[in-house]
Amino acid sequence: MRPILSDKCFTCHGPDAKTKNIPLRLDLESAAKADLGGGRRAIVEGDPDTSELIRRVTTESKAKRMPPVHTGHAIAPKEVEALRSWIAAGAKWEKHWSFLPPRAPALPKVSNAAWVRNPIDAFVLERLDREGLRPSPEAGKEALLRRATLDLTGLPPAPAEIDAFLADSSPNAYERAVDRLLASPRYAERMAYRWLDYARYSDTNGYQFDGERSMWRWRDWVIEAFARNKPYDRFTLEQIAGDMLPGATTDQKVATGFNRNHRGNSEFGIIAEEYAVEYVIDRMETTSAVFMGLTMGCARCHNHKYDPIAQREFYQMYAYFNNVPEHGRAMKYGNSPPLTPAPTEEQQAQARELNAKIAAIEKWIEARGAQTRREMAAWSKTAAAGGQTLWAPDSGRERNLKRIVHDIEDRFSVSARVSAESAPNGAIWTRTDNSPRGRGYGLYARQGKLMVHFISDWDDDAIRITSKTALAGGRAYNVLVTYSGSRMAEGIHVYVDGAEIEMEVKLDTLYRPLGNAGKAFKEVFRIGEGGGAENKFNGVVEDVAVYSRVVNGDEIAALASTKPSLLYFLENAAAPEVRGQWAKLTQLRREREALERSFPTVMVMAELKQRRPTHLLQRGQYDKPGEVVEPGVPALLHPLPAGAPNNRLGFAQWLIAPENPLTARVGVNRFWQMMFGIGLVKTVEDFGLQGEWPSHPELLDWMSTEFVRSGWDVKGLLKLMVTSATYRQDSRATPELLQSDPENRLLARGARFRVPAESVRDTALAVAGLLDARIGGPSVKPYQPDGLWKELTMQDMDYAQAHGRDLYRRSLYTFWKRTVAPPMLANFDAANREACVVRESRTNTPLQALNLMNDVQFVEAARVFGQRMMLEGGASAEERLRYGFRLATGRVPKPAEVEVLRGSLNYHLDYFAGDAKRVEQFLAQGEAPIDARVDKRELAAFGSVGSLLLNLDETVTRQ
Amino acid sequence: MKWNHDDPIQQARLQITRRHFFSRTATGIGSAALGSLLAADAPKAGGAMPGLPHFAAKAKRVIYLFQHGAPSQLDLFDHKPQLAGARGKDLPASIRMGQRLTGMTAYQASFPVAPSIFQFAQHGKSGQWFSELIPHQAKVADELCVIKTLKTEAINHDPAVTFFQTGFQLAGRPSMGAWVSYGLGSENQDLPSFVVMVSQGSGNSQALADRAWGSGFLPSKYQGVKFRAGGDPVLYLSNPPGYESTARRRYLDDLAQLNEMSQREMHDPEIATRIAQYEMAFRMQTSVPELTDLSKEPEATFAMYGPDARKPGSYAANCILARRMAERGVRFIQLFHRGWDQHGNLPREIRKQCAETDQPSAALVQDLKQRGLLDDTLIVWGGEFGRTVYSQGTLTETNYGRDHHPRCFTMWLAGGGVKPGFSYGETDDFSYNIAENPVEIHDLHATMMHLMGVDHTRLTYKFQGRHYRLTDVHGRVVKDVLS
Repeated sequence: MRPILSDKCFTCHGPDAKTKNIPLRLDLESAAKADLGGGRRAIVEGDPDTSELIRRVTTESKAKRMPPVHTGHAIAPKEVEALRSWIAAGAKWEKHWSFLPPRAPALPKVSNAAWVRNPIDAFVLERLDREGLRPSPEAGKEALLRRATLDLTGLPPAPAEIDAFLADSSPNAYERAVDRLLASPRYAERMAYRWLDYARYSDTNGYQFDGERSMWRWRDWVIEAFARNKPYDRFTLEQIAGDMLPGATTDQKVATGFNRNHRGNSEFGIIAEEYAVEYVIDRMETTSAVFMGLTMGCARCHNHKYDPIAQREFYQMYAYFNNVPEHGRAMKYGNSPPLTPAPTEEQQAQARELNAKIAAIEKWIEARGAQTRREMAAWSKTAAAGGQTLWAPDSGRERNLKRIVHDIEDRFSVSARVSAESAPNGAIWTRTDNSPRGRGYGLYARQGKLMVHFISDWDDDAIRITSKTALAGGRAYNVLVTYSGSRMAEGIHVYVDGAEIEMEVKLDTLYRPLGNAGKAFKEVFRIGEGGGAENKFNGVVEDVAVYSRVVNGDEIAALASTKPSLLYFLENAAAPEVRGQWAKLTQLRREREALERSFPTVMVMAELKQRRPTHLLQRGQYDKPGEVVEPGVPALLHPLPAGAPNNRLGFAQWLIAPENPLTARVGVNRFWQMMFGIGLVKTVEDFGLQGEWPSHPELLDWMSTEFVRSGWDVKGLLKLMVTSATYRQDSRATPELLQSDPENRLLARGARFRVPAESVRDTALAVAGLLDARIGGPSVKPYQPDGLWKELTMQDMDYAQAHGRDLYRRSLYTFWKRTVAPPMLANFDAANREACVVRESRTNTPLQALNLMNDVQFVEAARVFGQRMMLEGGASAEERLRYGFRLATGRVPKPAEVEVLRGSLNYHLDYFAGDAKRVEQFLAQGEAPIDARVDKRELAAFGSVGSLLLNLDETVTRQ
Repeated sequence: MKWNHDDPIQQARLQITRRHFFSRTATGIGSAALGSLLAADAPKAGGAMPGLPHFAAKAKRVIYLFQHGAPSQLDLFDHKPQLAGARGKDLPASIRMGQRLTGMTAYQASFPVAPSIFQFAQHGKSGQWFSELIPHQAKVADELCVIKTLKTEAINHDPAVTFFQTGFQLAGRPSMGAWVSYGLGSENQDLPSFVVMVSQGSGNSQALADRAWGSGFLPSKYQGVKFRAGGDPVLYLSNPPGYESTARRRYLDDLAQLNEMSQREMHDPEIATRIAQYEMAFRMQTSVPELTDLSKEPEATFAMYGPDARKPGSYAANCILARRMAERGVRFIQLFHRGWDQHGNLPREIRKQCAETDQPSAALVQDLKQRGLLDDTLIVWGGEFGRTVYSQGTLTETNYGRDHHPRCFTMWLAGGGVKPGFSYGETDDFSYNIAENPVEIHDLHATMMHLMGVDHTRLTYKFQGRHYRLTDVHGRVVKDVLS
């Protein structure tokens, strides 16, 4: 009954009725059965005729008729009948099915126990029995292997794999094949296809400017997690709150990138608070859709119209995600804080090795410390030492100040000696457009106080920090500034005479680099001036040393020192063995810095030390804060587990707690969608009252409890699904079944549907033998029609197409630009990656046909495929065609099919005969070389047939 | 009953006709036979939802001329002679009322009023005001329905464009063209029903995104198809070099034969649909180049649309294409012209943008009229918000800039079902707030839908448990502008 009531009545008579001043609620049993005045009750148990509800939905009076015409809803006679008999039977009220924990149901009795391979089949067959249907026979071996290989790895089986499977006549041959597929690295990539959609993964920030970001380390974490079969509860926990686990590892922090994959707005002039709110809401909506199957977003502006979730509860859950040290305005390019360096495993090993070497030398130097100091004391008294009072370290020093090109992502340090008769005032050193408040950076003094500015726009896009104490006149100071390239005030340190001084942050919002649109910032480095003619320094600036790195403590001391420094001594005058060790140490430290600079970063979740208060936002608006709310989970579900902290970590523990009725069901249902094309609950994103009821509720509950019982074993669950007799059925439909069950919800036949966008491309590459097997790494840019980025983006951002092997990587590595999505993937219904999408969608359009026939990626693949037929397929044309057909479809062609292919080949041989130009042009598509052994005209003809095969419905379909 | 266009039962019914056809065909199917099969099927496959239109449509199609970046209403349409006296004075607080400003001018020390330096005059029998920047539009004054009181909630480009296109500031919902395609289907057999063209203005361009014409949560077949000037007009339209149409025809016949064998074995309606879509693709390979080939247009056309008209990809050329699409039954045609974001040097920049767009916009109105197409074509002209009366940056005798202004701005409509030669709505003396007859974006959407025969509250799609519509929970038809 609830779906009828929810869809037709709850908009007004639901959880949000109160705010509309509507007295009647039909979502609560007590309210629906209460006296409405004058003895009228909406529902009178056992008596439909006196129930006001029935009267009002059946009355002839237009004015009284419910639902009102203006809502556009109407209750069908069948639905009225259903309501009537439900009330007649006592109007029994139950909590919505998905909010009750799943209980493992007993296996049902079925008509044909022999058909049942595992419990899945018992539930499916029981339903078929009730419907008077019978399952389809098992699919042929070739079809079955291709189906499982596509579902589990996203790729078609190779001929050798098919041969091995056909040759294996043991009863568990199929199970063994499934085990092989689940162990393949290709499996993890295929599983990641969809997880990237759920997590709205992208290589750019989105919104207006859509600059590049770097989240591929998170993407690789997902692949790794699937490859290692990380239990789904850990998988969930680490992505939601890995950073808060005790002693969180780099990997666990990287996992939380899940909730930083949302868009970030860097548009000039935005109001940052507005977008800070949107980011938190995006996290909420994504987390609730992916793990809970709930559309929490509906409660942003008002109480949920259908599900029992109050607006207040929305903001309580929001509070868990509202404690990130972040800013509403995103960096124009690159990652926005908080972020973490995320070295790859190889880099981590390199760092460990370097650190060990460095520690060993440091230990050696330390051990010899007393003797070295004695030697230095003696040296200090010599004349040689006296000549080195103003020595500055040489390593990384910029000798030509006219050529300094540092921008806001570069590391650098500048040391200078300043003196003035009165309190220092004016520009000390600068690189700016030389106007007041102009673009650029520099160190200034104002009445003795030091100021460091990085200005892209004075008010809105700048770092401005000022010292708390002032320098006095009448003496000289060494003033040293280091900058880490972090684009934040915390990356700037200022030292006076070797001691760091405290700086007050006036503005900390630097987003745009000084150089823009590929043009470097051209201003020169100036000493004692800059920032306008009025701004000349009132004293002397000398001994300026600029370094393209952050100088270290020893160097800071050396630069500040007017006495001979220890550093000079170690580098130049110490005992030879000390100098040797010191030189090695310096070298290793430089290597370590370079290595660390090469680490990719990833945006991660982090917690503010002091909790940011969360307000209920009236009508969901950022500038209409209402009451303050405490973090909390929705009351309709279970409370936080005992002992769990009331923060994001506790929330994650709550999600995976055994009593959570949603997490396992929602996860299982989505895995089912991947294997069967459609969820048992078709609305995979909505398990709430407006969602569809499961086609097989007991099956879903059995699998969910089994999933938890198995330790959230994803591979185990998938194996259960794909080894079931249900999965193995032939996918041929009969006209009767098409009529009675067009969507195959009853599962009386195998599923048949077009493979996902990524698989369409990956299949073509695999069939051609072009697919590059490398896993992970930065995203790549395969072929794309010219100018697509340029037409829409600002500042002529253009697409720099890759060459060589990167053209043939799997599609999950294709660079995803949010505002201009990869056109081929978009054509084949890839999720848009703007926001979380969990439902798979499949359309069938002419643009897909054009794409598959004419896109250079597919034209090239067809040609290389043709070449493969010629080189590997055998001597005769027919053998080659049969080989090609088998590569594409996983089966041997029928004679009639071979006949068509022969006809096509002959046609194309004629078509290309005697027209060398046609041949040349056709073969020139794509960068893959042509094997010198093949005849070019023949290759063009085989390439054309290759294209035909890649375009077959069967090739792009798993059946 | 809510009709789901992808309803598999509907698909299955279609399939039955197809299967019927296949079962009667002895061996394979020739292209001619397929052609007629598709012609018979297509109106159903690409047709309107049952019950739509809800009432007789005044406009069969829309040509939407999106002026991307936001043109200044103060320098084009919204004449404020009384501002001359306020020149350089700070915008009164009583007018600004503390309303939010973008981060670009929020920190300005003052908000000096910058009256337009351009001359305004009344035109046509209707006596509507136009500035000297747009003399051609002024000539068609009596065809235009000028609305001066549009308002939006967004103050930055991306959310504002997204709001205009989808009825919501954050990306993810279907664009208006997608809604129209979904609701009303296609009017033609061999072109998409929703087409988009983008031209580059000379001025400061803001980024656009493919999602502006995306299908959101509607099936992706309803998304706008972008026609491009360089290379293929539609992505992947051309056969590979060396591969001619004769070969493609043969190839498709072979492909159809093989797919048909699968179809007979698997009985999956999707296979028949795929065969049909390959045929549609083939037809597009002819129909699209024919459409985009302007070489047979008479000299008079180019003279009418102005000096850029022969330049592929220009706004003027796109306006000619829009007319050709209208003639061929494309339902929703949307042009974007970039470059209107005049924060600084507005007088210089706006001259250039107007030179690019004025004549072609006016020519399109005239051209449709002379062909008898204006009556059932709705033209919409406008940007994503307006611009401020106060100067962004320094105000001089000859120069000023204007920041984003969401509180009021001007658009015009023409053709199918709107009052010609009509001006609607008034702003205050500073063109800062609306004095009377505000029109929300949702109202504009509701009105456009109404003109197309659609009750905006009844064209819905269920997603994530909610019945969504273009106008969200808002929108009212602006009856005053209907003819």
